[in-house]
Amino acid sequence: MNMVLQQIINGISIGAVYALISVGYSLVYSILKFSNFAHGGVMMLGSYFGLLGLQYLGLPFPLAMALAIVGSGLLAVLNERVAYRPIRNRNSPLLYLLISSLGVSIFFENFTIVTIGPNFRTYPPVLPTDSLMFGGLSVGRLDIIIFVMAAVTLSLLTWLVYGTKIGNAIRATSYNMRVSRLMGINPDMIVALVFFLAGASAGLGGVLFGIKYTVWPQMGILTLKAFIAAVVGGLGSLPGAVVGALLLGTAETFAAAFVSSAFRDLFSFALMILIILVRPAGLFGKITEEKA
Amino acid sequence: MKKHGLFRIAIVLIAVLALASCGPKAESKSAASEIKIGWLGALSGDQAVWGTAERNGTLLMIEKINKAGGILGRQLKLVDYDDKGDQLEAVNVAKRLITEDKVAAIIGTNSSGRNIAIAPIAEKAKVPVIATYATNPRVTQPAEGELMQYTFRVCFTDPYQGSVMADFSKSELKATKAAVLYEISSDYSVGVAQYFRQRWKELGGELVADEAFKTGDVEFRAQLTKIKEAKPDVIIMPFLYKEVALATKQARGLGIQAVFIGGDGWPSSELLKMAADAVEGSFFVDHTDVNMPQVQDWRTEYKARFGKDFEVNAIMAHDAVLVLQAAIEKAGSADPEKIAAAMTLIDPVAGYTGNIKIDPKTHNPTGKAAAIMGIKDGKFGLHTVMQPMQ
Repeated sequence: MNMVLQQIINGISIGAVYALISVGYSLVYSILKFSNFAHGGVMMLGSYFGLLGLQYLGLPFPLAMALAIVGSGLLAVLNERVAYRPIRNRNSPLLYLLISSLGVSIFFENFTIVTIGPNFRTYPPVLPTDSLMFGGLSVGRLDIIIFVMAAVTLSLLTWLVYGTKIGNAIRATSYNMRVSRLMGINPDMIVALVFFLAGASAGLGGVLFGIKYTVWPQMGILTLKAFIAAVVGGLGSLPGAVVGALLLGTAETFAAAFVSSAFRDLFSFALMILIILVRPAGLFGKITEEKA
Repeated sequence: MKKHGLFRIAIVLIAVLALASCGPKAESKSAASEIKIGWLGALSGDQAVWGTAERNGTLLMIEKINKAGGILGRQLKLVDYDDKGDQLEAVNVAKRLITEDKVAAIIGTNSSGRNIAIAPIAEKAKVPVIATYATNPRVTQPAEGELMQYTFRVCFTDPYQGSVMADFSKSELKATKAAVLYEISSDYSVGVAQYFRQRWKELGGELVADEAFKTGDVEFRAQLTKIKEAKPDVIIMPFLYKEVALATKQARGLGIQAVFIGGDGWPSSELLKMAADAVEGSFFVDHTDVNMPQVQDWRTEYKARFGKDFEVNAIMAHDAVLVLQAAIEKAGSADPEKIAAAMTLIDPVAGYTGNIKIDPKTHNPTGKAAAIMGIKDGKFGLHTVMQPMQ
């Protein structure tokens, strides 16, 4: 019983990190209807921004965190400006956006290897990494902090999208970009805002990820799991991304614990295929159009 | 006149050719008293530190043997070439050693990749190669059931570390229950884990958990929670330092008290930085260490001869020359084919890294000792030298 509870705790703590990344995939998808695979690269660079602030600029942790969040938010906006907007303006097929995002992701990774270096880096001990023991159960203090930060960020995002005027504009643009333009909304601004939000949450995720594990140029690949979570939850849906992330985190932990650790990824990817087959729109998704 | 001129030139040419053909014969007669030993390895490039120590070690050993009267009453002569740490270059110089210098045997190289590259050449020319620091199993056995007839080695293979881990856990740590966490997508890790399981079973140990992860994973708590439930005394972690740092940190975070045991993928200052307290009190297996007590005399001799401290490769070179000496004596001849045939027939040779014999089935050494390194007060250090258990 203890082991089941411990595995649930493990799963939720992994899921919380996935959630911060997967909302970025979902946000961008909801507006532009494509999967932005450069998102992992933004998260990776966000992690490096935080490290830069802490180690080289000597900033206190909250400021370094802010640097990472704002830095990766702006990076995502720039990414859209340079690599996606020209394609959008030409009304090219959505597939081109996807291909461009793959290119950007490879660019980010190699840019980091060449300029910063291929080796692993570790965050200085800014947050407590020890564990609290409750009977036989261990809960990492860092995991609690990550969970709280993720919950606060995700609540803020949800409030922004569903409870404010600007959120109305975002949802209107997501519903129909042309008609929203007729209503006086500047879609390019909304797209930039969405990319900023996605990038900023990836930046936060990157910093937390870096503290919890380590920082290296290929860490963006790990966001593939967050992407699966977004698909499982229903691409384009914010609550879907969060639920999908927690579900995937616990599912793969349970697969590792009770099926076989060697089969863990086999299991999580099979889960994704199964959900796509049974519910093509994901658990919370409403859109059933083409998903590029 | 012109005809005469040509005629004269022809005569001169014939005379020169006749003399020339006499020359090598005369030379080979005088060289017959000498046995040529080839060496190849990196003397330049980023592997030069290891290669140079190895060449120097080989040279020093040959000088010692010569001083003591040589082998079969014949003096040895070292022919050494720089392979620049490059596989293509290694192939070139191996060919030169065989066809031009006609060496009796080759010692080297100091890496698996180059030994794999030159093995087919040795095979074709039927000249034995004794690898010093080529630890990949494929150096002598390119595939399951295949054996390179002319390639041997004096270092143990990577997966053999698993066997040492089992011996150490049993004899020194008195462990009875072990868990394995390994990287399923790495040959190295799978190999070490397999050797550990096999040896652990032979020693009567209980394997309470056997968990895997994939290259690139950063989260091990699902596996570690399972391992914790099984309450092992030791956890075998044969993978590289980044994953070691994460896994050990997460294991301690879950309250696991077991001793962590690793392999030669551990030593890195990054590990100490990343894992800090989590790896304190852990052990890992390495081939050999410059601080082992039995090599200190050799170290002093080396320093006196070359004016600088040596690297572990000089220890392996020492043992490689000893094994070759035993094989030449056993063969009673410096003929490469006869030496190769005698390699697996030698009596155990007391080298610095164990009582070495060459296994005829694998061409790997048996009876090898290993260095057990410990992590204490945030530093790596030699803990003990593990002799193979019977």
